[in-house]
Amino acid sequence: MKIGVLIKQVPATDKVRMDEKTGTMVRSEMEAELNPLDMYAVEEAVRIKERLKDVHITAITMGPQSASDAIRDAISIGCDDGYLLTDRRFAGADTWATAYTLSMAIKKVGGFDLILCGERATDGETGQVGPSVGSQMGIPVLTYVSEIVDLTDKHVRVKRAIEGGHEIVEVDLPALISVVKEINDPRIPNLSGKLKAKFAEIGSLDSVSIEADQSKIGLGGSPTKVVKVFYPKLTRSGEIVRSKDPQSSIKALLNFLKSKEII
Amino acid sequence: MNEFKKVDEKIVKELRRMTSDASVIYEDKETLKNYSHDEAGGEYYAHMPEVVVKVENADQISKILKFANAEHIPITPRGAGSGLAGADVPLYGGIVLSVEKMNRIIEIDKNNLVAVVEPGVVTNDLCKKVADTGLYYAGYPMSVETSFIGGNVATNAGGSKVIKYGNTGHHVIGLEVVMPNGQIVEFGGKRRKDSSGYDFIHLFVGSEGTLGVFSKIYLNLIPLPGKTVDLLAPFKDMESAISNVGRLMIESKTLPSAVEFIDGISVKLGSIYNNIKLPFQDEAGAYLLIQYEGRKKEEIEDLYEIGGKALIAGGAMDVFVADNRTNSEKLWRIRRNWLEGIKAFDPYAPTGDVVVPTDKIPQMMQYISEISAEYKVQIPVAGHAADGNIHPAPMKPKEINPLEWKDLSEEILDKIALKAAGLGGAISGEHGVGFIKKVLLKKTKSDQYVFMKKIKDIFDPTGIMNPGKLY
Repeated sequence: MKIGVLIKQVPATDKVRMDEKTGTMVRSEMEAELNPLDMYAVEEAVRIKERLKDVHITAITMGPQSASDAIRDAISIGCDDGYLLTDRRFAGADTWATAYTLSMAIKKVGGFDLILCGERATDGETGQVGPSVGSQMGIPVLTYVSEIVDLTDKHVRVKRAIEGGHEIVEVDLPALISVVKEINDPRIPNLSGKLKAKFAEIGSLDSVSIEADQSKIGLGGSPTKVVKVFYPKLTRSGEIVRSKDPQSSIKALLNFLKSKEII
Repeated sequence: MNEFKKVDEKIVKELRRMTSDASVIYEDKETLKNYSHDEAGGEYYAHMPEVVVKVENADQISKILKFANAEHIPITPRGAGSGLAGADVPLYGGIVLSVEKMNRIIEIDKNNLVAVVEPGVVTNDLCKKVADTGLYYAGYPMSVETSFIGGNVATNAGGSKVIKYGNTGHHVIGLEVVMPNGQIVEFGGKRRKDSSGYDFIHLFVGSEGTLGVFSKIYLNLIPLPGKTVDLLAPFKDMESAISNVGRLMIESKTLPSAVEFIDGISVKLGSIYNNIKLPFQDEAGAYLLIQYEGRKKEEIEDLYEIGGKALIAGGAMDVFVADNRTNSEKLWRIRRNWLEGIKAFDPYAPTGDVVVPTDKIPQMMQYISEISAEYKVQIPVAGHAADGNIHPAPMKPKEINPLEWKDLSEEILDKIALKAAGLGGAISGEHGVGFIKKVLLKKTKSDQYVFMKKIKDIFDPTGIMNPGKLY
């Protein structure tokens, strides 16, 4: 079985800075790490490999050269190999163009039976890329998966979270699954895994090698346009009610709410 | 000397005049109770203050100390109350002088690499603020998220980074101290060297509020290392884990920023409390947690490779590498929440704190397991392996009631502390003496004790400063 895991490198900071002029994230000055939510997808792929025979896992990411570190992180805990999609023409892609690019790469690398991805990335927070890849490839997409109940060469049955509960769904392979945190507890790589990853050769793909339609990639190929990015100003205009006893406080509060026509 | 004046309405009125109405807590038993204890033993070691004053500046402290000195009212300075030796328990009632409102970071001086802070700054807030400027405050007590810098200085707090950077005292280059007579005196400052006269700064460090009250602290900063990597190494037992510590440093030719150890029982309890599973949890008798710091990714990779290989050659079952925030946090959470993990199963478990030369850790551990067998009491242990600082936490057997346990656990911890002193160590590595260990202090440092007492009498002749502590 061939498993593909889609991963992303995200800023390793709580203080993401936006460029107000271009509307994009200032990534160059930030430390980066593998998106924590993608670690669950990688771990699940590795667990499948430990359970079944002849499983090969390939991690794929799109980003600058430095994003190859995310692939190395995935290899360090058990992925077999990985590809970095890197090309200046990919820059500025929205979720649709990113998903298009990834789906073209998947076709190029060779059909996966199962594609796993995290619920969303901790920087963009959209959760759109995974499902969009599945959709553009025309394969079944299962989101919010908390357990792979059964997996054969032909189909996968999963437990997925829905509003107010869970449902068990079965689809034919190939399929794309986005997983949630509840699915597993990602392992920490050991030294031999880290050393293997350090020396692993990582495949590199660009827009030409994946035979992408140049009008569908990068900023130009993105239907979403960020018109303006700005930092909201934090303002507070509170009124503190000070009274001698609770009764008069409540009265003052009620009067305030009435004056604002809230009650 | 211990016949102190009781606090009455008139005294409270005077305290309010010196500060403000809102700064003084009096007769509000529920609120006062919060100031009656620290993290050592809760209610069993608690004593109610008569009044609490939340001071805002050195001038207010000065007025209060002058007044208390004249009226002979005991003063207990208080930080975050996260201490583990009872140093901020107001044993004689009187005035608890809380510095919680003095929480300003006055200056981060990037030219002199010095931070000037008030004593009520939460250490973690300082670390974050300093890091934002590209600098580093290297003090890192395990209570970093709650403890105040003033308390860190008053106890000479240690933590996990002592092997590389020293304990809190190493970072203090100046202190503004309000003396018991109300005089405000500045010792040191932004200068890094001073060979003119006695080193008073380091007399105040670790003085646990018995000599004066800090109103301003000057701290040494260094450039931010930038990158860290953590290694987790499970071992079959504590002896094989500890035997690696010295060798690891020699072979890697580097001082790690932390070398922590934690025993198998602690990991099992911590795993349930933190909902985290560590590798080899069912087989390992002890773990080492090592942190390296570096400037570049390549430097970090080099360090974990050399360190990791040395640990495997030294008998580690495997070595796990955490070089991102998520994995790092996973490894550190069990160690940092070690005490909380134990307290979740036994709220009565006290924390011991002894220090021995590093090579004596296995002997200490052997002694602790003998005590554990003798008293039929489970004693989880964790600590700072590279500086020989051991924290045993005896857990109350179900059949023993809490009051009996207080005496029994004290007996157990006293035995462990005396053994440590006998091995060339000391009865406290980083928590301090407070009142819980004062008998042990006298017993194990009898010659020094005489001089300590003389110094105390010079600084505080009326004995109002934190009475009942150390002496």
